[in-house]
Amino acid sequence: MAAVADANTEVNSRDFPNPILPRTDITYPINVLYCGVCSLPTEYCDYSPEPEKCKEWLRQSLPDQFKAVSAGGADDAAAASAKDGEEGDQDGGDDDRKKKQTRGGKARVKLPAAEEKKKPGAIKLSIASRGKKKYVTVVTGLGSHGIDLKVAAKFFGQKFACGSSLTGDDEIVIQGDVKDDLLDLIPEKWPDVDEDQIEDLGEQKR
Amino acid sequence: MFKKFSEKDSVSQSSQLKSSVIRNLRHNFLQQYPHVEPYFDEIWPKRDNVKLVKCQDHIELIASQTGDILFFKQRDGTLLPTLRLVHKYPFILPWMQVDKGAIKFVLSGANVMCPGMTSPGGKMSVVAKDTPVLLVAEGKDHALGIGMMKMSTEEVRKTNKGIGVDLIHFLNDGLWQMKSVK
Ligand SMILES: [Zn+2]
Repeated sequence: MAAVADANTEVNSRDFPNPILPRTDITYPINVLYCGVCSLPTEYCDYSPEPEKCKEWLRQSLPDQFKAVSAGGADDAAAASAKDGEEGDQDGGDDDRKKKQTRGGKARVKLPAAEEKKKPGAIKLSIASRGKKKYVTVVTGLGSHGIDLKVAAKFFGQKFACGSSLTGDDEIVIQGDVKDDLLDLIPEKWPDVDEDQIEDLGEQKR
Repeated sequence: MFKKFSEKDSVSQSSQLKSSVIRNLRHNFLQQYPHVEPYFDEIWPKRDNVKLVKCQDHIELIASQTGDILFFKQRDGTLLPTLRLVHKYPFILPWMQVDKGAIKFVLSGANVMCPGMTSPGGKMSVVAKDTPVLLVAEGKDHALGIGMMKMSTEEVRKTNKGIGVDLIHFLNDGLWQMKSVK
């Protein structure tokens, strides 16, 4: 990275200095060139799902940069494959080959438009307004975690001292806005539930 | 942290922060990163009425008057700079460099495995466990992620396997795509 000085370090190790010190020969803020297609800094366009589109954009909007980047990119690729070769030679063995395979595969940058599907079994929390200032909290998905809904509804009612009832297939409605409390309470009460499986949907119309 | 994050259904409300709260946040940040001081008024102007944007899952963002998202708050309340901010001021956080092979994994949201930092293309700062770090990459000028050390640099070297850095924020995640807030 060229953005910051290696300052007074590197004397007896190849580690970065910590803290990193601002360079005196650069004026901040640094102006990073972002790609108009993938939105990443243009040096990362190689990892875009559509590198060709990125290249096209760069060639049209910033011809000078295009030359610089495409030249650099080719060099990098060559260097990388050379390095891979070396690694293999040094370590040899099946382990290494396996590692390389996994490291070569699958991972891809998503285009901004690509949205992830909701996981099955997600617990969804939302609030809905009742009149002007009152809310109820709707919890769905607890059942798919093997939680007894009747017990859960009763537990919530006792915990928040309010009405709480089973209203549907896998839906509990609690009177009042207790959504934020539930985010902490559910994983606490049912340790098997992973925090990441709880989705906060905000306010929903019912 | 921001893998499933999207502006449309994540932001719940935004509000102005009280100046006393701002003073506190600024103070705490500088205590943690004293070397940033000479640039701090430029990064976060004293008189700027920053906004607090509350999002789902207890995530909070701090945005400048002009809508640039400067920081995000961890659950424990500590502030971390956004990638857009550290691209402008890359010296804020200590650096951990991943090798070329690890780049695409970070960009797809994976945590950083130790060998990605100890290999010839990697490079590290000497930091303790639970230190927030800036992820930079072999052969690249600009950072690609922000993470939290799962073990100390020493341990990364010693064990050299498993997850070394938990990825918090990376290029093209939900926070990156948000660009700015209104
Ligand atoms: Zn691109």
